[in-house]
Amino acid sequence: MEAFKKELENPENNRKECDVLILGGGPAGLTAAIYTARAKLDTIIVDEGIVGGQVASTYQVANYPGTDGVIKGIDLVNNMKKQAVDFGARIDDMQALVKVELSGDIKKISTGKTDYFARSVIIATGAAPRKLNVDGEDKFTGKGVHYCATCDGAFYYDANVIVVGGGDAAVEEAVFLTRFAKKVTVVHRRDHFTAVKSAQDELFKNPAIEVLFNTEVKAIHGTDFVTGVTLFNNKTNSSYEMPIDGIFIYIGNEPKSQMFKGLLETDERGYIMTDENMQTSVKGVFAAGDLRKKEVRQITTAVGDGTVAAVMAGRYLAANGN
Amino acid sequence: MKVTVYSTPTCPYCVMAKNYLAERNIPFEDIDVSADPAKAMEMIKKSGQRGVPVIDINGNIVIGFDRERIDELLNQ
Repeated sequence: MEAFKKELENPENNRKECDVLILGGGPAGLTAAIYTARAKLDTIIVDEGIVGGQVASTYQVANYPGTDGVIKGIDLVNNMKKQAVDFGARIDDMQALVKVELSGDIKKISTGKTDYFARSVIIATGAAPRKLNVDGEDKFTGKGVHYCATCDGAFYYDANVIVVGGGDAAVEEAVFLTRFAKKVTVVHRRDHFTAVKSAQDELFKNPAIEVLFNTEVKAIHGTDFVTGVTLFNNKTNSSYEMPIDGIFIYIGNEPKSQMFKGLLETDERGYIMTDENMQTSVKGVFAAGDLRKKEVRQITTAVGDGTVAAVMAGRYLAANGN
Repeated sequence: MKVTVYSTPTCPYCVMAKNYLAERNIPFEDIDVSADPAKAMEMIKKSGQRGVPVIDINGNIVIGFDRERIDELLNQ
């Protein structure tokens, strides 16, 4: 806390004030920005990476209404970004948060270079890919262990890869990887996929894909790069080795809420609790999108959350003298 | 100053990195490693990893879109 005070008082830091500070520039944050900026509220989006969230690295989005069903993820979020910027939102990207104070009427957020003073905050930092937590995973990240097929799939031309997981992302990205890999093996711990039927149909008719149900990855091996994995069949309780060039992990997400720990109410997994108006346990602080505790996490629901959070932030500001 | 960007067309951070260089009027060679397996191997040898973008600035290797590191090398 002392270090933070010093940092906040550091005259070298940029100082920015705004009505609505949006943390995270995925679909939830961008939608909130479209609404607040259009309502003439001074709006800044701060993102630790590039704006777009997880959608930016999704190859294609099939289920976003009003598109042709084959829109590229990066195009969809770039459209949202342009809309937000055209309405007057400012975007500060590549800015990781280093300190967050939410309790007072003015919320203070610092990225180390810039200190933000905001009258309301919408947290939309989203979620990040969950790790397998097996031996070799960290050591070989970027060296055969990957979480983004659209980014790194091209390195596996004519190779053998596995995809871990059974949801929409695992099934869709496995099909995408057959553009490059000669064989894709999908490894899933359960006996069936939970992905939507149409995505499963695509997968099962693809001759380059093999599926191993009831199978878990127990370890990842290699020297400079991944050379193989240890698999475990949870039906037969048998372990075996499989030589492999790369492994793509799609086993769900976890909320990026570490910076808010202890500042507002979360569930045991770190998802932020809100009411139906996206209001968190702290006055003037709203949450929207994948890091909120809820059942359905889709681009469309993130957009809905962002809308509600923006409108309610506007009402909060109006009630508090804006 | 010689700058090479190893990238793939679908990688968002690659687009970001190339825009960043272009905005600063830094000329660079753009190599699409998804279309050129030999160049992909060259990139893996230089960086020790299989992930894009990789940016070579006068022989110094930057892994990922690390803006601070890029600025540092460009200002040398």
